[in-house]
Amino acid sequence: MSSNLNLLIGIAMGLNLVALASGRLPSLIRAAAMQGVVIGVLPLLMHSEFHWLVAAVSAGTVVVKGFVIPSLLQRALRAAHIDREMEPLIGFIPSLLLGAAASIGAIGFAGALPLRPEHAGVLLVPGAFATVVCGFLLLMGRTKAISQVCGYLLLENGIFLFGLLLIRSTPLIVEAGILLDLTVAVFVIGIIVDRIQREFDTLDTRKLTALRE
Amino acid sequence: MSTSILLLTAGLAAALSVAGAFKAPRLWLSFVLVAAMASLAAAVGTLAGGGVWELQSGWTIGGERVHFRLDGLSAFFLALLAVIGGTGAVYSQEYWTDAAHPRSAGPGRAWWSAMLTSMGMVLLCANGLHFLIAWELFAVTAFFLITLERRWREVRDAGWLYLGASHAGSLCLFGFFAMLAVRTGSWDLGPMRDRPELAPLFWLALAGFGLKAGLFPLHIWLPSAHANAPSHVSAILSGVAIKMGVYGLVRFSGWLPVPEAGGWVVAVLGVVSAVLGVAFALGQHDLKRLLAYHSVENVGIILIGLGFAMIAAHHGHPAWGALALAGGLLHVWNHGLFKGLLFLGAGSVLHATGTREMSRLGGLWKAMPWTAGCFGLGAAAISALPPLNGFVSEWLVYLGLFDAVNAHDTVAWLAIPAIVLLAMTGALALACFVKVCGIVFLGVPRSRAAESAHECGWRMRGAMLLLSGLCVAIGLVPVVFWPAVQRAVVEWRAVEAGVEAPLMALAGCNVVFAVLAAGAGAALWWHVTRRGIRRAPTWDCGYAAPTARMQYTAGSFAGIITEWFAWILQPARHRRAPEGVFPALARQDEHTPETVLEKVVQPAGSVVMTLSTAVRRLQHGRIQSYIVYLLLGLLVLSVLVFAWASSGSR
Repeated sequence: MSSNLNLLIGIAMGLNLVALASGRLPSLIRAAAMQGVVIGVLPLLMHSEFHWLVAAVSAGTVVVKGFVIPSLLQRALRAAHIDREMEPLIGFIPSLLLGAAASIGAIGFAGALPLRPEHAGVLLVPGAFATVVCGFLLLMGRTKAISQVCGYLLLENGIFLFGLLLIRSTPLIVEAGILLDLTVAVFVIGIIVDRIQREFDTLDTRKLTALRE
Repeated sequence: MSTSILLLTAGLAAALSVAGAFKAPRLWLSFVLVAAMASLAAAVGTLAGGGVWELQSGWTIGGERVHFRLDGLSAFFLALLAVIGGTGAVYSQEYWTDAAHPRSAGPGRAWWSAMLTSMGMVLLCANGLHFLIAWELFAVTAFFLITLERRWREVRDAGWLYLGASHAGSLCLFGFFAMLAVRTGSWDLGPMRDRPELAPLFWLALAGFGLKAGLFPLHIWLPSAHANAPSHVSAILSGVAIKMGVYGLVRFSGWLPVPEAGGWVVAVLGVVSAVLGVAFALGQHDLKRLLAYHSVENVGIILIGLGFAMIAAHHGHPAWGALALAGGLLHVWNHGLFKGLLFLGAGSVLHATGTREMSRLGGLWKAMPWTAGCFGLGAAAISALPPLNGFVSEWLVYLGLFDAVNAHDTVAWLAIPAIVLLAMTGALALACFVKVCGIVFLGVPRSRAAESAHECGWRMRGAMLLLSGLCVAIGLVPVVFWPAVQRAVVEWRAVEAGVEAPLMALAGCNVVFAVLAAGAGAALWWHVTRRGIRRAPTWDCGYAAPTARMQYTAGSFAGIITEWFAWILQPARHRRAPEGVFPALARQDEHTPETVLEKVVQPAGSVVMTLSTAVRRLQHGRIQSYIVYLLLGLLVLSVLVFAWASSGSR
């Protein structure tokens, strides 16, 4: 039971590194989508008895994160005719190393935290930390708006992993709230992508500095 | 009960006067005078009657119940406000007319009413929150009065400096009142001398009120604001507005416990302000700027009195403390009167000649005998010459200091230098006003403007005569005004013993002085009219063609004394010495900068500006870096929280 869980979280952590290392946007989107599917399955594994609420959360997560948002991003990509993250602020190799360091650090840090015994044996907490940090790394290190959306997705996946600790007490509201946030965020970014594209003929967020004042 | 009616009348009249300010100057004047007289009557009633008038209304402003209170101390200041406010209003009718200042005359009248009202509110409010509101209104209305002629750049700069400085002071007062409210659990103000934990708050009050009062290192806003405001505004700024700072210090050093060192600090600051104020005044060439520095000096004298009273409060209230405070408080009135008079006189000179630069004036007494007479009287009063009012109050301060020396306590170590320096201040002030009167009124005119000067009209003259009369009255019959001072002193810290001074003897001496001076003047007049005046050129070193510009200038007259203080005045000199046998062009000019402002405050300000500009570079618009800031902030906060938690658990 716990080993299955750890396996999936391990896959999610590996996908973090894939996302950090991928220079092509479609593969980045694919990594984020796969991670969404993987962590969407987790709630089912955490409970031995079947509960319709948990199943609904799980299904919703898989559908939205694994298919709806990635397909939206793919469409944006096609509309904007771009394919590659050309000039990352943090290079692919350095961000990969940073992500790996963050994953190791997260495991060490979680070991130092006073966790409840049922959470101490699983990778849930370190996985959550690592995913959040990797999401931040994407947000900080990439210039294309689409990469940043993927950063948000990773960030949100990390928060979702934290949320799993609480799924028995406050399941639906938390998840619904997070999904709503995320959808709004994706829409907003979509609009921004559209605007930047029309205004500057590029998706480079660095051009936004003209709007700072 | 009658106090309520009088104050209500005053408030209503002040409100109505704003309505008449723009279209009906005469209506405005009559309403302002009604308000002034009603509040003067209320103040005199309180000072004579001895009771404390309080009004606790059910109305709330900002969630706090309206609470007014008029006791001996606030009535003392209210009387001064009423006198100077009314006199200045009469003066402004002729000085700042609609014809001469079509754009600013109406607003000037409205702001005048607003400023008088807000200062009255400061004196009446017995609730910390409302006090702050009134204080802020007072600061802002004063700003608009200072910048009435805001088309000139220096006026705008002066206004800006005033606004900045007074808000720095307000910030301290916000801290003071907020912490007071937190520690007492209520915004209500009143005596709370039995709460020793409130004592450290006094330092905040000292900074906040000291800035307004113009204590020496905090006086930076004062000279330019007084010099650039219209003269009736300068009169009320110097006569009353800076006294609001003094009121705050006296009020809250009386109501709250004060730290043991508080009195010493106030007294030392007072001595420093007195000596350096007059030293800076000697270095000025601008008539109104010079008078402004004398305000610093006189506030210093007032604070010497207050400081020694505060020291006395820690020694079980010996009589010398009450005497020093009485001197200081009477000097509040006296300084308000003679400095108001001097600024009105300076305004009259400015009105007639269009310049404040002393080296362009000269010989004005022939054209403006009334102004010259009143200004001379004010100059004698501010130099603390008997038989005028300045002498009475400084004499009381001296008495307090002498008794403090006789007390053979540690306080003598401060009292002796204070006496010496106070005496020096008086001598320097006299030298300074000999300079002013000599340069401005005596000699022959130095410029075309001074030649074509004319005497002012009856309203300006009447205002000056009224203030002169009060200066003489306090000098000759101080006994009449003494009970008011006693009331205020007793109110300060509820000292039952009261205060006694041998005023009858002083009044007798003053009357004898006055008679002798009048006799000497009459003899001189008789001599002059009978024997006539012989006019001849002065000794001119053999130079054949002297001109009016070869008279003593303000700078050369005070040169020796300003040289003594060159270490702090830091005068800027530009000199081109004559060369050769037939020198072509030579020049020398010297002016005293705003040393504290230019050498201390501005460098500190530019450091702050550099830092802020550097920090501003963090805002560059790159979202990626903003996320880094967020993450770093979060990290620092969590480290702090962890450190906090681990130190707490240990």
